[in-house]
Amino acid sequence: MIVARNCARSRNSAGPRNSAGPRKVWSWLWLVLGSLYFLVPLLATFFFSLRGKKGVLSLVAYAHVFKDPQFLTTFTFSLEMAVLTIAAGLALIIPTAIWVHLRVPRARVLIETFALLPFVIPPIVLVFGLIRLFSRPPFALVTSPALLVAGYVVLSFPYIFRAVDAGLRAIDLRVLTEAAQSLGAGWGTTFFRVVLPNIRVALLSAAFLTFSIVVGELTLAVMLAWPAFGPYMALMGRDLAYEPAALAIVSFLLTWGSIAFMQMLSRSIAGRGSFTGGVH
Amino acid sequence: MAYVELIDLVKHFGRHTAVDSMNLGIMEGELVSFLGGSGCGKTTTLRMIAGFESPTSGRIRIRDLDVVDVPPNRRGVGMVFQNYALFPNMTARQNIGFGLKVGGKPSAEIDRRVNEMLALIHMEELGSRFPHQMSGGQQQRVSLARALAASPRVLLLDEPLSALDARIRVLLRGEIRAIQRQLGITTIYVTHDQEEALSISDRIVVMRDGKIEQLGTPFEIYNRPATAFVASFIGSLNLLSAVVVEPDAGTLAVDGQRIAAAAPIQGAAGRMVRLSLRPEMISLANGSAGNNHLTGTLSNVVFLGSIVRLVLRIGGNELFLDTFNNPHLALPAIGARVTAGFPPEACILLE
Repeated sequence: MIVARNCARSRNSAGPRNSAGPRKVWSWLWLVLGSLYFLVPLLATFFFSLRGKKGVLSLVAYAHVFKDPQFLTTFTFSLEMAVLTIAAGLALIIPTAIWVHLRVPRARVLIETFALLPFVIPPIVLVFGLIRLFSRPPFALVTSPALLVAGYVVLSFPYIFRAVDAGLRAIDLRVLTEAAQSLGAGWGTTFFRVVLPNIRVALLSAAFLTFSIVVGELTLAVMLAWPAFGPYMALMGRDLAYEPAALAIVSFLLTWGSIAFMQMLSRSIAGRGSFTGGVH
Repeated sequence: MAYVELIDLVKHFGRHTAVDSMNLGIMEGELVSFLGGSGCGKTTTLRMIAGFESPTSGRIRIRDLDVVDVPPNRRGVGMVFQNYALFPNMTARQNIGFGLKVGGKPSAEIDRRVNEMLALIHMEELGSRFPHQMSGGQQQRVSLARALAASPRVLLLDEPLSALDARIRVLLRGEIRAIQRQLGITTIYVTHDQEEALSISDRIVVMRDGKIEQLGTPFEIYNRPATAFVASFIGSLNLLSAVVVEPDAGTLAVDGQRIAAAAPIQGAAGRMVRLSLRPEMISLANGSAGNNHLTGTLSNVVFLGSIVRLVLRIGGNELFLDTFNNPHLALPAIGARVTAGFPPEACILLE
């Protein structure tokens, strides 16, 4: 009987090993194809951006980009808006998602429907609605960046909600909150010490998505007349040839740099950074 | 005076009655189990005591204080959950110290208490591990230590062992009982496992459909089950149909074979009754005087390690009996005629 079991075991372990070879090849193939899909346009843009001076490869387009003071001001503005949007979005959506999970699980369907609206309603419709509603008293907010941030929160709502929702589902929220309460913790302690640290990864991905949406956003910024990075890039693309390509590469690197910085920041906030996974 | 008191406790979920006017007093330092199948109301009752559910009506008193309106974080009740519920972002030490930290205790005191707790659960070396680095049994030990660290007035355990494998389950239930005795903490233990309830409890509350079916010591519950439900829920049990022969003398007939019960039987002769017999009370007949005998055909022999279970077919009834395993045991062959013997006291008559 022991012999039989050993045989079965070796057969089981042999199975996957035999098929692992071809499967591995396939997964590498797909990975390479996927990477090419993303990298080829990026590389093409990069090489194009180096051809600012005729006949030689040079960084002259980049020099132009960095010389333009507009570049820094618009990027900084969009960065600020992104940070505000992330803060406002998370502050609004995390407690809501927790509430839905714990108290009104049936409201989930409703929230998921809301989360689809930004995909169904084009930003141009949203922004005209905002302008109509908030351009005269009692809500004369058109000149305030708060309205822009509010619009961005709407646009990023689906991404933030889904990320937070997935994070909450990965932990056993109900039992963890009950455990914290039975140990004497109030809602505040439970929220900051138990819930937030355990959905950190989900919050980060929500923040990244929001960040990339806001930094490149065009419609809202143009219609509300803000000097944001999206409109600046659009303007450059209309008027110049090589600089927009350089700008695209720079903005790509800046976005990734900012995301890396946020990740580092959140690690140092989360303490010793010894816990990295939110999924259990 | 009871330490924990449930008075006319009722809980409805919509139209469903989960707990139906439950009354119970638990003494200080006592370990009481709530035992029953799923949906019997045992967990709901526990959650009401913890404060996670509010009763539809009725009172819950802990140490003479009505706690129904007290939020769970101020009830001073420690809870151990089925799936451990350790905080994944904290080490074992941090988990155990959480309640004390929330309670604003100085860190020196927290350290001392956490060390004490780690020693109590024999995990001194593993304090810096995160939950995902621990086995299920270790996680549940930490969970127990965490619940006990802040010295709660009552400890609640909600099926704490059901996610663990059999060997760890037996080991850990012994540890839980030892720790509970050592600390003298009033404990309520919810389980669906009768063996667990019998081995760990001072008293057992057998529940069914939101009501208490029987309340008693493990000995009472096992040996004198009040209802057919309790009898069948606790331990394995033979249920035979018998006919009353002489009510006053307490004689019955099973498949035409006469046997005697220890006490007179209520009701007229000729009435059908259910006779229950514990398999361990029956032995292969050795002709000793005063014993009842039933003869049947051996239909199966089941080897269970330390015991061997024989199954006899007696007319329309099936009777199984347990004998201790013994290498020198000469067991009859399947199909043989076998006589089983049992004392009159073994006969439990159920309605």
